[in-house]
This record gives sequence, structure tokens and C-alpha cells, in this order.
Amino acid sequence: MIIIDAESDIPIYVQLRTQIMESIVRGDLSTGDTLPSVRGLAGDLGINMHTVNKSYHELESKGIIEIVPKKGAVITANKDKKISKKRLDALSKELRPLVVEGLINGMNKEEIHELITGVISEVREE
Amino acid sequence: MEFITLFITILFVSCIQIAIPFLVKRTVVFGVTIPYEQAKHVKVIHYKKLYAILTTVIALASSIGFIIWNQVTPMDETMLVLTGTLIPFVILLTGLTLYFYFHYKMTKLKKSKRWFEKIKQVRYADLAVRSQDEMLASYVHFIPSIITVTIIVLSVNLYDQLPGQIPVHWGPDGVADAFSEKSWLSVLNLPIVLIILQSMFFGTNLFTKKSGIKINPGNVTSSKMRQLRLRKYSSWFLFITNIAMTMLFSILQLNLLYENLFSESLLIFLPFGFLVFTLVGALALAIKVGRVDSDLEGKLITDEPSKVEGVDDDNYWKGGLFYFNRKDPSIFVEKRFGIGWTLNFANPIGYFVMIVPIILILILSFSI
Repeated sequence: MIIIDAESDIPIYVQLRTQIMESIVRGDLSTGDTLPSVRGLAGDLGINMHTVNKSYHELESKGIIEIVPKKGAVITANKDKKISKKRLDALSKELRPLVVEGLINGMNKEEIHELITGVISEVREE
Repeated sequence: MEFITLFITILFVSCIQIAIPFLVKRTVVFGVTIPYEQAKHVKVIHYKKLYAILTTVIALASSIGFIIWNQVTPMDETMLVLTGTLIPFVILLTGLTLYFYFHYKMTKLKKSKRWFEKIKQVRYADLAVRSQDEMLASYVHFIPSIITVTIIVLSVNLYDQLPGQIPVHWGPDGVADAFSEKSWLSVLNLPIVLIILQSMFFGTNLFTKKSGIKINPGNVTSSKMRQLRLRKYSSWFLFITNIAMTMLFSILQLNLLYENLFSESLLIFLPFGFLVFTLVGALALAIKVGRVDSDLEGKLITDEPSKVEGVDDDNYWKGGLFYFNRKDPSIFVEKRFGIGWTLNFANPIGYFVMIVPIILILILSFSI
């Protein structure tokens, strides 16, 4: 399930990318499943093919999907596998400014932990 | 026979034309998108009823007039066919005129009520929906082409034995009423037209399959089911029509190759049978699709008024009838007023699939 808010400040390709990842976390999609073709998904949503293409390529560069010629975008991310050192470093780098922003705004360690736990249960729909 | 054929067509066109507002999605009224909860709004129901009553009056008046006229002063064949073909167009035109009137009324109503002001409009997609898509594979449309190719080979082999005059047009009674000089083009006319049509059907199925599956986040279950049904049953209808057409064309071509192969009664019955067959198919499609997510579905669950609705694409629908959206890669989209598909006119592939075959057939029929 993908819901795109065209009036949001978050670009459509980012919304799409995030929601595909959330679908995998929720278990709606699992390793080995194929995503719809770029044309198909863009048609479903009534948005430009370039937008969908951009999301797919970002997911590919994150190692979440693999774009196989003729077969389409196959999900390669595996929740049971341990994260690689390289991915962990990259995530840490991306998370850093957000954590710092929280600290500046008066959040303490526990509150930041709580925030992350909250996000996890929200995504998993617990 | 001609009278019955024409009368059935008039009856069919009337019924569908009257029923359209109740068969289309309830969130699109006369080409204007409204929120799901407003589908039963007093004014909306009133407009639909008024449309149905007015169309019924015109349809009844013209059909009864047609019968009485034929009873009092029996028309000659040409006159009968002419008026009988004209009446469906009169009914269609009446429907269209009323459509535009109520489209204007609905646009005004929507503006004054500001229905979408408190509702968030989003775009929705189901990533797994394609596993439930039951459209036929596109290549099935080339299975009947085996017959077409066989017939072409047969015609080429028998070319020398054929008479100098070749029938090129058949009346509604299945009897040839226009002839042409024998040539490769006039002998192979029918199977060539058939193969063009079969390719067109293939293209239609292929590009329908590639088009988007539009789901309304305001009522996911119904709108998804409607899209899936439309895809499945329209592809079946297309295939059954392909088979029926192949049979019709093949029998006509065989009759051209081997004189007196078929009895005259079969040839008279054939086009009639074809017509009834396709009309029944179209009716089945209209009912199968039209009873989901329309007024016929009955239940309208509004316990928790949804805070989200689909983005209303009204600005992409010119007059509420013609879809023109450059961003959307879909080639076919569901009709807003009627059952079936319409082209996304902003997409050149659509023109190619629908218009090139028609031009080819026209060129062919004018060159013999």
C-alpha cells in the first residue's frame, strides 16, 4: 500500500522510496518479491515515470532492490541478515544531523531512544 | 429480420444510455469527482433520476414511433435501415446533451459545497495488486490468426478459379450487395481486415494490461474490485469478440471461395447472431463491472467519514469525457461516463493502437 501526498513538502520520490521500504518492514513485501514495473506503478499513481524510476534507483543504490533486466525490480533486502559495516556507517552518518538537532532542541538520551522506538512501532503498526 | 436487428440495437442502446449514471463509479457523477460520503447527496440523486427520466422519455418516444411508423406505412428496406440506424444516434445525442447539462450543474454544485476542503487528497497504489489481476495474456489474440492465415493461403491457391466479380460488401441480411473487379486486394480484403483487427485487439489488451490500476483511497475494497473486474471481463469480452469476428469473416470468405458451401439461411442468420452475441457480451460486461462501486452496490459505509480521498483528476478530464494527462503513462483509463476504457489522449501510443488500424482499413476499403 502506497499513499502519496502531492501537496507535502517531502518530494514524491522520497515518499515513494520510504513507503516501499516500510512495506518490506511490515511484511507486505518480502525478499524475492517483484515490485511493479516503473510504467505500471506510475500509472497506478498517475505520476511521472521519472519519479518512480528515481525511487527505484535510490532503492537499488541502498541495496534494497536489484533491477534485473526483463524481470523487473526484485527485492533483495533481507531482514534476517546482519547489517554490513558499510551500511551501518552510512546510516550512522545520515542519522547524525537528526540526533544533533534533537539534542539542540533539548531532548535527552532517553527521549531520543523513545522517539526511535515510537517510529519503529508506528511503521510495524504495533 | 432487419426490423428485429434494428429494434434490438435500439433497445440495447436505450437501456445502457439510461442506466449509465447508475453503472459508473459513484464517486464520479456526470464526470465530476465528489467525495465518497456525498454519493447519496439529495441533489446528486435528483440529477441522476432526472437524467434517467428524460432519456427514457426520448428513447420510448423514438422506439414507439419507429414501430408505429413501420406498422402504418411499411417502409422500404433503405428507409427502414436509415431510420433504424438514425434512432440510436438520436438517443446517444440526447444522452450526451443531458450529460453536458448535468456536468455543468454538478461542477457548480461541487464548487458551492466545497466538499474537498476538509479532506486530504492523496494518490494510492497497491504494490501487490498485480498478483490479483486476471486479464488474459495478450498473445491469445493471435490464436485466431492461425485461421486467418489458413484462409489467406487457401484464397491464394484458389485465386485462378475465382469468378471475375468479387463481393465486397454485404447487407444486414448477409447477402452481397456490392461487387468489385477481381484482384489480389479484393480477394484478400476480408482476411487482411481481419488480421488488422486481430492486431488491434492484441494491442488493446497489451496496453490495457500495462496501464495503471487506479484505486480510490476513500473506498479501497470496492474501487479495487471494480478495476480488477473491468480488466478481467473487458479482456474476456475482447477475446470472445475476436473469436466471433473470426468466425463471421471466415465463413464469408469461404462462401466467396466456394460458392453454395453454406445455406442461405445460415448466411442470413450469421450477422444477426454476431450482433446478438456481442450485445449480450457487452451487457454482461456492463452488469459485471457496473454493479461494483456504483449506485447498484447499495451499501455505502460512512460510519467513519474518511479523511482521505483520491486526488480528483477533474482538471485532466476535458468536459469530464476526454482524459488528457501527460504525467500519467497509462494508455487506457476507465471511462467516467460509460462502461469500459477510454484513451489517455496525451499519450501518442494510444493514437497508434486505435487510429492506425482504422486508417489502414479505410485505405483498404477505398482502394478496391
